[in-house]
Amino acid sequence: MEDISEASDAQLVTSIGRYNEVALAEVYRRHGGAVYGLARRVLNSSIEAEDVTQEVFLRLWNQPDRFDPSRGSLRSFLLAQSHARAVDAIRSLNARRAREIKDAAKTARGAYDMQHEAWDLSLADQVARALEELPEEERRVIQMAYFEGHTYVEVAALLDQPEGTVKSRIRSGMRRMRNVLIEAGVQGVES
Amino acid sequence: MNHDEAYEFLAALSLDAVETDEREAIEAHVLECPKCRSELDALLDVAGALGNSVEPLPEGLWTSISSRIYDADDDAHPMPVLGANVIALDANSSRRRRTFTKGFVATLSSVAAAAIVVLAISLASASNHVANLQRQLASNSYAASAALSAPGHTVVDLASSTKKDLAQFVLLPDGRGYLVRSQLPTLTSGSTYQLWGLINGKPISIGLMGDKPSSVTFTVSGTKPTVLGITVEPSGGSPTPTNAMVASGTVAD
Repeated sequence: MEDISEASDAQLVTSIGRYNEVALAEVYRRHGGAVYGLARRVLNSSIEAEDVTQEVFLRLWNQPDRFDPSRGSLRSFLLAQSHARAVDAIRSLNARRAREIKDAAKTARGAYDMQHEAWDLSLADQVARALEELPEEERRVIQMAYFEGHTYVEVAALLDQPEGTVKSRIRSGMRRMRNVLIEAGVQGVES
Repeated sequence: MNHDEAYEFLAALSLDAVETDEREAIEAHVLECPKCRSELDALLDVAGALGNSVEPLPEGLWTSISSRIYDADDDAHPMPVLGANVIALDANSSRRRRTFTKGFVATLSSVAAAAIVVLAISLASASNHVANLQRQLASNSYAASAALSAPGHTVVDLASSTKKDLAQFVLLPDGRGYLVRSQLPTLTSGSTYQLWGLINGKPISIGLMGDKPSSVTFTVSGTKPTVLGITVEPSGGSPTPTNAMVASGTVAD
């Protein structure tokens, strides 16, 4: 009998498509911590992060065909799902919570160290270096968009900057990060 | 939205930082544009690297996910036949606590009198991990049969307080375990059998067995349990036993 721990992510997703729960469990074992970790960081809530994690894996169970291995890694796919749901959740919070987040975003400016927020067993060094090399204004808008769940329009309002400027900084920051990761030999970030 | 407009939005889209109407327009374009699709995929990988940190998974989260799979199945779809039912999920926290029922303690004492002292005092919740549930039949009998032929396997017979044999499991040295046979009666709706292992004096949830166990596969990582026990719990399971054991058995060294 094949040892499922040796199966590739793509093979596991194929098995999930055949209603093999053990495959889903193995995906959860491999990537659950990352899915949960990102959701918890964005939402700043363990309970809400658990809900997001559940939704991500239930969605994978119900719609495994949404993952296309030719378009990227399963980890990236699941993280994108986790982030999207976390952002949906944070944007649906009530006005009081939203105000708290905005206030926190204003008062915490400069205190947030993304270099300490982004780490992974295999990518920590590369990501940290990529973040280090970003200009402060680019790092800040990416942080507010990704980790705080703001749209670029909201970021622009919070920072009192033109929307076009924020959008451009996000774009240039992401491209810089990608270049650093490419130079570091990280797979999958080349377009 | 034309190509140039969409292309400018891709980085923000990869961070989920666009408005809903913009997202729809961009994604519509991306579907038709290989260049934008490739660019977006690469940016999503960068975003993934940015958010790629691993945190310990909360205890019981997998049980919730697994239960919802089966609950959904009950509502709409026939339960899929699983090729295997194995999971090995480490839980790193023990944030849920619940007092054991007298019945559980009393029954457990009949099979692990020494351990029960530790168990009753500590009342610590699960620290190992949760496992799996299942409802399908023949496909897994092969795994159980193979396990019975594997070197180093351990057979565990679980009996009721009246010494009636109700279930038999086989454990392998690597922590995998399989239900060999079951005479557990079918439960009413809303209940499930839950398998527990006594590990270091603590009852650890090994997994949900469903309302009519026929094939169960699980993995216990780390320390081998000294006792296996089964309780009836509300559908979805419980972090710690809430009812008396219906069957239990000592795991031989």
